[in-house]
Amino acid sequence: MKSAVAKKEIELALTDRFGAIFQRHQKPPVEIVPTGIDEIDARLNGFPRGAITEIHGTTSSGRTTLLLSALAVATLQDETCALVDTSDTFDLSSAANARVDCDRLLWVRCSGNLERAFKATDLLLQSGGFGLVALNLADVAAKHTRRIITSWWFRFRRAVENTPTALLVLTPISCTRSCAALVLEIKNEGPVWPSTMSFVLENNGAKLTIEESKGDSTPHLSLVTEAAQSPERSFPPLTHANLLQGSRVRINQERPITWIVDPARFRTRLH
Amino acid sequence: MFASIYGRTIPKSGVQVDNGASLLIDLAFTFSPLVEQTAIDTVVLDVAGQDLLFGSSASSSSVAVGNAEIDSVRALAGEIIRRAAQSGFKVNVAVAANPDAAINAARSFQGVTVIRAGKESLQLGDLSLKLLDYSLAGIEKERVEEISETLELWGLRTFNDFAELPLAGVAQRLGQAGVRLQKLAQGKSDRQMVLVQPPLGFEQSLELEHPLEELEPLSFILSRLLNQLCANLHSHALATNELRLCLKLEDKTEQERAITLPVPMHNPKTLLRLLLFEIESQPPQAAVVSVTISAEPVKPRVAQTGLFIPLAPEPEKLEVTLARLAKLVGADKVGSPEILDTHRPDAFRMKRFNLSSRQNKSRRNRQSAIDNRQCVMGFRIFRPPRGADVQTMLGRPTRISVRNVSSSCLLRGKIICASGPWRTSGDWWRSDVWARDEWDIAVTDSTSKPGDVLCRIYRDVQSDRWFVEGIYD
Repeated sequence: MKSAVAKKEIELALTDRFGAIFQRHQKPPVEIVPTGIDEIDARLNGFPRGAITEIHGTTSSGRTTLLLSALAVATLQDETCALVDTSDTFDLSSAANARVDCDRLLWVRCSGNLERAFKATDLLLQSGGFGLVALNLADVAAKHTRRIITSWWFRFRRAVENTPTALLVLTPISCTRSCAALVLEIKNEGPVWPSTMSFVLENNGAKLTIEESKGDSTPHLSLVTEAAQSPERSFPPLTHANLLQGSRVRINQERPITWIVDPARFRTRLH
Repeated sequence: MFASIYGRTIPKSGVQVDNGASLLIDLAFTFSPLVEQTAIDTVVLDVAGQDLLFGSSASSSSVAVGNAEIDSVRALAGEIIRRAAQSGFKVNVAVAANPDAAINAARSFQGVTVIRAGKESLQLGDLSLKLLDYSLAGIEKERVEEISETLELWGLRTFNDFAELPLAGVAQRLGQAGVRLQKLAQGKSDRQMVLVQPPLGFEQSLELEHPLEELEPLSFILSRLLNQLCANLHSHALATNELRLCLKLEDKTEQERAITLPVPMHNPKTLLRLLLFEIESQPPQAAVVSVTISAEPVKPRVAQTGLFIPLAPEPEKLEVTLARLAKLVGADKVGSPEILDTHRPDAFRMKRFNLSSRQNKSRRNRQSAIDNRQCVMGFRIFRPPRGADVQTMLGRPTRISVRNVSSSCLLRGKIICASGPWRTSGDWWRSDVWARDEWDIAVTDSTSKPGDVLCRIYRDVQSDRWFVEGIYD
């Protein structure tokens, strides 16, 4: 308490000479781009504009899901978006399912060339006017992302600040260091398989077990193997609902550090 | 002072009429910007002051100022005849104080005729009334025959006969048309000229003294031409949406480029950058000896922005950025994706990214899409699909190993979960028929991070080979 009073007295004494330099500046409200996922928007409000947001995670962790969701919301709100696709892996069918308006999306395919991807991102940020610019490094090997020089990230941070653009970076490991205003780690908590179709291989694949849904009485086990096991049965045609249904995703906020321990969880669907 | 040019050798009909008429107009424009085309073979131009440019210089020793002026006008008329002869046709030239007197004189007298102001009736008075051009007096075709018959019945044969009739009597019998016609016969008409607009030429060209091999010196030439071109466009309150560049090369060949712009522009810096990117993408094979730039004139873009409209890139900046991106990664790898109307997997085409031509989808549908958002699982597709060695048991995949993997995803290991097959096929009527059995699998990759990799694999029915199509992410 004494120290606080002494600090206040010193500040008051210096105010006449240096002005109100000790007063805490009120930060302007941060503009955001919604992610399109309620569970994340409830926690983060969205991706900050004028800053870098990094999303890192392992393969199949759900990074592209988050990207598509953000692109869908941004393009549906008439924002102009750009995607720098380093490895040329952007799937249009899943983007269309996610309701991304491709007319408002500038897609730059870099065919695996990391340097071109960074140059293209720099051109887009310097051009200005984009609501969301995404740099997809998800398929770049971790050893290569570690070698990205920090000056690129500083350059991006400088180019994007004080602009309405949100720069989204998808990486396998965290590599933007202190340049990102928001860092999210994303993990997959397991896929959701259709219960009537899933099967488990046990004992090194020697035994095949077909699992049926307990609550589902409709016997549409139209698997080839089952047909091989009991060829006398007639099976209805297989539908797309028999394939993978989705996955459960967990997101941890790494930067800025918060006191909220519980990660955000959401479930994705495939069809 | 008005001069009229009558082309004696210009055909009155046939395919060469337009050519001859345009030659006559071009000839007139070389002497004055105020030109009227009265008929196919006749033009009249305002030459007030032009005798100072084209006429002979009047010396201080001239006898009289009036005679000196006549000499200058004669010299101007002689210059017109000389240039017409160079173009290959013979003309009569008459100079008078009003355009109609000049026209009548040019049609009636050979060579050069100069009529002093106030002396029109003296020189035109003996002309036959049949030479009177009724269209110059603005008389309708229906009345021409009636008036000419009337004049003939009155026993009038020459311009003078008609000019000397009392004005009140003519007005009483022939009306205002007769009055105008009489003024024409007197050589005193005072009508305004109907001017020919000079053709809007938005083309600039330059013949180079020395062939240019490098881009940098050529950029200075292009900049100069574009500045002139854009100044022309700006002076006419126009812009351009298509720019054409023609380069004549030292090896006697020509290269033509065309740049189509999504929005009309008239900024020379932007156009210069786009031209340079275009030339850099396909450099000329030889040194450049001549440069021609032409622009398609269109109305400039009118944009109304609003408070609630999201920010979009500036069209000029966006065009330059797109050109730079095209130079960086290739023109076919930048743009908006468009899914093709087919069931073939990963069928799409790249189209030009154009914000101005986007379809206006209904606001209601957009809002409902935002409100009913669903988290759709993402998929990353491999282009081309990666070949894989897949072990199967009773037709089911049990183990996978992907060949030639260079990315972060090393797919090698036991398949712990699989779902399928989902058989698709199509285009059986074409040579590139496709048929495949798709499987969604989860692979435990012992070499990489913890967690399963979810991916989609398929067996090509034609070749009985396995491929990894992509990864769920």
